[in-house]
Amino acid sequence: MSSADEVDALFVGFGDALRQAGLPVGTDDVLTFCSGMTHLKVSDLLDVYWAGRACFVRRREHFPIYKSVFREYFLGEDLTSDAQVKKMMRASSNAGAALEIPNTEEGLPGEINPDEVKLGYVASVNEVYRHKEFADCSDAELRQVRRLISRMRVTPPKRRTHRMTRTRRRSQLDMRRMVRDSMRNLGEPRDLRYRTRKEKLRPLILILDVSGSMADYSRNLLQFAYSARRANAKVDVYCFGTRLTRITRQLDRRSADDAMKTAGEAVFDWDGGTRIGDSLREFTRTARRSRLGRGGIVVVCSDGLDRGEPQALVEAMESLSRIAHRVIWVNPHRGDVEVYVPASLGMIVADPYIDEVHSGHNLASLEKLANRLAKVG
Amino acid sequence: MARVADPMSAPFADLTVPSLIEDLSEQGYIADRGLATTLLLALKLGKPLLLEGEVGVGKTELARTLAEMLGRDLIRLQCYEGIDTHHALYEWDYARQMLHVRALSQAELVSNDDDLFSDRFLVERPLLQAVRSGDQCVLLIDEIDRADDEFEAFLLELLAEFQVTIPEMGTVKAPSRPIVILTSNRTRELHDALKRRCLYTWIGFPAPEREVEIVRSRLPQVSVALADQVVAAVNRLRDMELEKMPGVAETIDWTTSLDALGAQALTEEVALDTLGAVIKDRDDLEYTTKSIQDVVS
Repeated sequence: MSSADEVDALFVGFGDALRQAGLPVGTDDVLTFCSGMTHLKVSDLLDVYWAGRACFVRRREHFPIYKSVFREYFLGEDLTSDAQVKKMMRASSNAGAALEIPNTEEGLPGEINPDEVKLGYVASVNEVYRHKEFADCSDAELRQVRRLISRMRVTPPKRRTHRMTRTRRRSQLDMRRMVRDSMRNLGEPRDLRYRTRKEKLRPLILILDVSGSMADYSRNLLQFAYSARRANAKVDVYCFGTRLTRITRQLDRRSADDAMKTAGEAVFDWDGGTRIGDSLREFTRTARRSRLGRGGIVVVCSDGLDRGEPQALVEAMESLSRIAHRVIWVNPHRGDVEVYVPASLGMIVADPYIDEVHSGHNLASLEKLANRLAKVG
Repeated sequence: MARVADPMSAPFADLTVPSLIEDLSEQGYIADRGLATTLLLALKLGKPLLLEGEVGVGKTELARTLAEMLGRDLIRLQCYEGIDTHHALYEWDYARQMLHVRALSQAELVSNDDDLFSDRFLVERPLLQAVRSGDQCVLLIDEIDRADDEFEAFLLELLAEFQVTIPEMGTVKAPSRPIVILTSNRTRELHDALKRRCLYTWIGFPAPEREVEIVRSRLPQVSVALADQVVAAVNRLRDMELEKMPGVAETIDWTTSLDALGAQALTEEVALDTLGAVIKDRDDLEYTTKSIQDVVS
């Protein structure tokens, strides 16, 4: 074997080692690296280091991984023990005991005066439900509420694409068409033609907290998600407690009750603890790999009572805000207060990355959210 | 494995990492070894270079310097939301086309499409310009993260083949590969398909010594002592978790302002007067004004 072949084998092996470490290294990257090294000094370790980084790494977050693999591969430093420890730490944080959070929810008093209802000031039974907090509803009332939610129309906002389409409205002149038309009339432009930007629905992603502290609300929010899914195909729905479950497919049922049932079965950590950071992180990780959620509206429904690391939540929110067009947080604990001040640690930490906070604690606020969704710019 | 020598990379045959660093520094651009190696590979392999990094660390400046250094034209495409092929690639000059057709019809001449859709009526936009001039230019696609997904997808073909199809005229292929530099401020994630076609590097804030070097190369009249002080102050500002972190551009701006005022040293008083050159956010300004002592000390 010639020395060039040996060097190539060494480099291919390096690409493989990076792949083992989880970097997305393709064969074309290895080719680029090998042909790149023909222009540099193979004997100079610094050249190898920087060339490899330029060819194999495409994310800043991957630089540390690259560095450690490089040191292990070329310098023979044993870093496995360190990595092992880290992995174990991660595993243990995943399995950490979920604390039960006592229900501290209190109904907001004085919204609906029962006397008014009796006197007929309130138009219908539905009106009562509109402002009654979900937590205070009886089972029968909740069923009624859910029926009402399932009739709600939820449409995500539109964005202008850069494609143009014909229009009759007076707007930008469509010169291309006019010139073509005029050819038929010996260069005489006859009609004015117009064109405008096409509009496309933004994807809507609902991420619902189904942990213990949100139990009173999450089922209604799921119903809300179902209406959203029914109204529009570009809706994706996820649930999380300690981990993330995609339930978009489960919601594709004719009857709302059926959909709720299958979705309920798919989520296994109903009423458990909350790890918002880890769950959102999981979402952004998949979202980054696919086109999922890019330029979309992400609605997170949670009270922000997080049992995980605040740092994990910060990182997840930062990444989420970069992927999404707008991040809307629905927090039932927000209530109807005019000026919202984040209270729980999770909410405080996530606040800088959130564009809007809604309450969603009763029917009226959910309606407001549904209306608002169509208009977020 | 066959080692394919790209014939298009021949012009850079005798370029090495140290010589590239030197050439760049002659133009007033101080590059570290990582950046220089990546740039060298981009030049030699004819691959686009994707630069990500904080605001104001010299991403755009690198393209400008490179064009200057190689004596090429810099063709710049500034991206924005909703940018489309008519702004980026080409557009027909419809008004002139129409006049032409009218003139023909008045003279009762027969028009043919070839004439109407020819170079005479073509308005070149940056990308077509770059494809046509090939290795005579450096193409800078600035702030690609501002453009939308579709535009990114459109760039894929262009960056891979360096050819453009104009339906009325046919395919235009670059005579040779232009140097392409893409920059992103990372306000959103770029698609992996685009990243895969590029060499990637992240430009962070330079180490203090290097930043002093950069300031001095831009403003040779400034004393080392002042440059040292300013860089140290800016580094303290960067540690303060401001809304908008000052970049190298701000360091240079600040030093320039101080120099213009004839300041020999960075005192609290002068710093307060010139803070606007380095802090560009109201909340940040309030905060730093209060703690100016910590910044200057």
